[in-house]
Amino acid sequence: MHTAGTVVFPQLSSFLVNQGCYMSEKNKKGRPSEKYRLSEVLTGCTFIAPQMLGFFIFVLWPLVMIFVYSFEQKNLLFGSSGFCGLDNYAKLAADPLFVKTLCNTFIFSLGVVPLNLIFSLALALYLGQVKYSHQYISTIVFLPVVTSGVAWAIVCKYLLQGGEAGPINWFLARLGIAGPNWLFEKGWAMSSVIVSRVLKNLGMNVLILIGAVLNLPEDVIEAARIDGAKGWTLFYKIKLPLLMPSILMITIVTVIGSMRVFDTIKLMTDGGPEGSTMVLVYYIYHQAFKMFDTGYASALSVLLFLIVLVLTILQWNARRRLSYYEN
Amino acid sequence: MKKNTKLLITVLAVFALSAAAVFAAKAKKPSGPVSIKIATWTSNKDQIALLNTFVQEFAAKKGMQINADFESIAFGEYTTKLSLELQGSSAPDAFWILETSAPAFIQAKALAKLNTSLAAYNPSDISSTALELWRKGNDIYAVPFSTSPFFMLYNADLLKKAGVKTPEEMIKDGNWTWENFRTMCKQIKDKTGVWGYQTVDGGGYDVRILQNLCPIIRSYGGDVWNNGKVLINSPESIQGITLFHDMVYKDGSVVPPGDQSDFFAGNAAMTVGQISRVSKLASASFAWGMAPMPKGPKGNVPVIGQAAIGANARGKNVALASELVAYMTSEPCVARMAGIWPPARKSVLASKEFLSSNPKVTPEQMKASVADSIATGRVLPSHALYTQIDVESKMVWDKLWKPDADVKSVADQVAAVYKKYIK
Repeated sequence: MHTAGTVVFPQLSSFLVNQGCYMSEKNKKGRPSEKYRLSEVLTGCTFIAPQMLGFFIFVLWPLVMIFVYSFEQKNLLFGSSGFCGLDNYAKLAADPLFVKTLCNTFIFSLGVVPLNLIFSLALALYLGQVKYSHQYISTIVFLPVVTSGVAWAIVCKYLLQGGEAGPINWFLARLGIAGPNWLFEKGWAMSSVIVSRVLKNLGMNVLILIGAVLNLPEDVIEAARIDGAKGWTLFYKIKLPLLMPSILMITIVTVIGSMRVFDTIKLMTDGGPEGSTMVLVYYIYHQAFKMFDTGYASALSVLLFLIVLVLTILQWNARRRLSYYEN
Repeated sequence: MKKNTKLLITVLAVFALSAAAVFAAKAKKPSGPVSIKIATWTSNKDQIALLNTFVQEFAAKKGMQINADFESIAFGEYTTKLSLELQGSSAPDAFWILETSAPAFIQAKALAKLNTSLAAYNPSDISSTALELWRKGNDIYAVPFSTSPFFMLYNADLLKKAGVKTPEEMIKDGNWTWENFRTMCKQIKDKTGVWGYQTVDGGGYDVRILQNLCPIIRSYGGDVWNNGKVLINSPESIQGITLFHDMVYKDGSVVPPGDQSDFFAGNAAMTVGQISRVSKLASASFAWGMAPMPKGPKGNVPVIGQAAIGANARGKNVALASELVAYMTSEPCVARMAGIWPPARKSVLASKEFLSSNPKVTPEQMKASVADSIATGRVLPSHALYTQIDVESKMVWDKLWKPDADVKSVADQVAAVYKKYIK
């Protein structure tokens, strides 16, 4: 028995099997009868129907419409629309802000992803060894994850005020350092949002990696130690390859998350100063709901979809080369 | 019957019943109260309660029940969110509109014509200057309920502590000018360590750039744009912008960008506000006062924030919402709102009651800072594509908020953005 229902609701299916809902009805050749198979398919479809209905209405349909709108000249304020062919895509090439936005997006991702991975791996390895304070440190690291993104961004904005009004600059002033206007200076604004984002999401990756670290096979590590491996060699040659499936998984999730950042930018910098923190998703919002150009915003969304798709495929394929567990 | 067949039938029955309930609810004709959704940018409970009183009075007059649902949208997001809602099925039936968005909403045909509904409420009493933005040809699309000038609010305790004269005293001496205002702010900062001035709602560097700069540049003879001509980089405008820039970066007397210090919390000695902001001072821990904006070579030219209310032309209750809008802007209603939103109705503005309409403000203050300022002030420039102009130019304005900014160069770049739209 392996219907769509069992795939989507495996626990429910096993429960029903235990309850005797799926009776073993076999024909003379020992195969399930046609009537039984039809009944089983119908049952499965019924179970997944609400989920699929939601998926079609709220995911697939908007996704299709974004592709359709990207070929239209559509103004949200005036409600006007009309087919414009590839004009919106041609506009991408001539839009200097789009190029800047694309660069900002990659800078943001290149800042967030390595920082997140390095810190989460370091913390996970440390917490995997600590015996008593493990839960307390984990709680502190995980706290930002369960905090609302809006609240987190507002608190960060408060901490990063310019002058001595902000607690961070106040502290720096006590050390004799004049802190910058973090969110209003071009050079600092991007760094500030990157750090804010890393701290916000670090906990989730640490949690996943702690699980992987605690499940490292003791016998393999012990064997490596007997063979003389220690310190960096033990980490690089033994632990890292064993942790690679988890690392690759969180890399994919973190890359996708960094490409889709919105709340941090909206609440902390509004894309400024001078568009220096304008990333792709925020630019889509900017075009759709500030400039009211829904057609162009849809073309940008299609592009973002393709970028994320390509990056995900590349990373997925990288699993085979980098992870010993993959075929 | 087999167990899985029973299960299938049960699930399908639940779906069928749910669907039937939804369709039945849709098909059922409304016989109870009518729901009217009204969008505003105020979230002040007293102000919303006052507006709701008007709705209930209107309902009683019509002999029906109306459930008013007030939606408060943040000022900075107002036009964006409203435009989005107007395309959907949960759009408000009536909504406030900013003066800068007037041409856009009229051009977008989002507003219902109000001529018929207004006819019952003496439309000739509404100032034709105030109504100018809200009409196209002979048709009226929205009614201004507020023509509220911006004026200076000050913390009297801080001014006393700094040993500087109050704006009223400086007006009496005839030297309440922008230059003296600058000197005064620096003295306050130097002597008390508290900021001398906070821009309007702290938004002078992002969502309220023009509200902040216009009173200065206009009093120097400059402007943003006027009659199809871009004036933001004129020598007079540059002079005004430079004065403000120097206050922020040379004197260090103005709450700078990125700093959340607030006048109402006692962290700045002066700010710009409207009469509706006075309610925020009800529980202030300091003595406060108000005065007209400082003057420049061309006098005192405050910004008048104009707000109108209109009915959604594509709404579910167009006729009812139009009548409600007309009633809410009738003479008896605006007379009661006058203490918060100075009206555009001539009869109310000229009445003695108007000067004493706000219990927190003396008639003298009301006359000097509100009534007289309405005569000298001007609204912000407007355009059908104002939101786009605002958003695009903000990115250029960002270049101004640094100590070594070249004011002339930034103003030229802003002018270049404006010229793309102003023709």
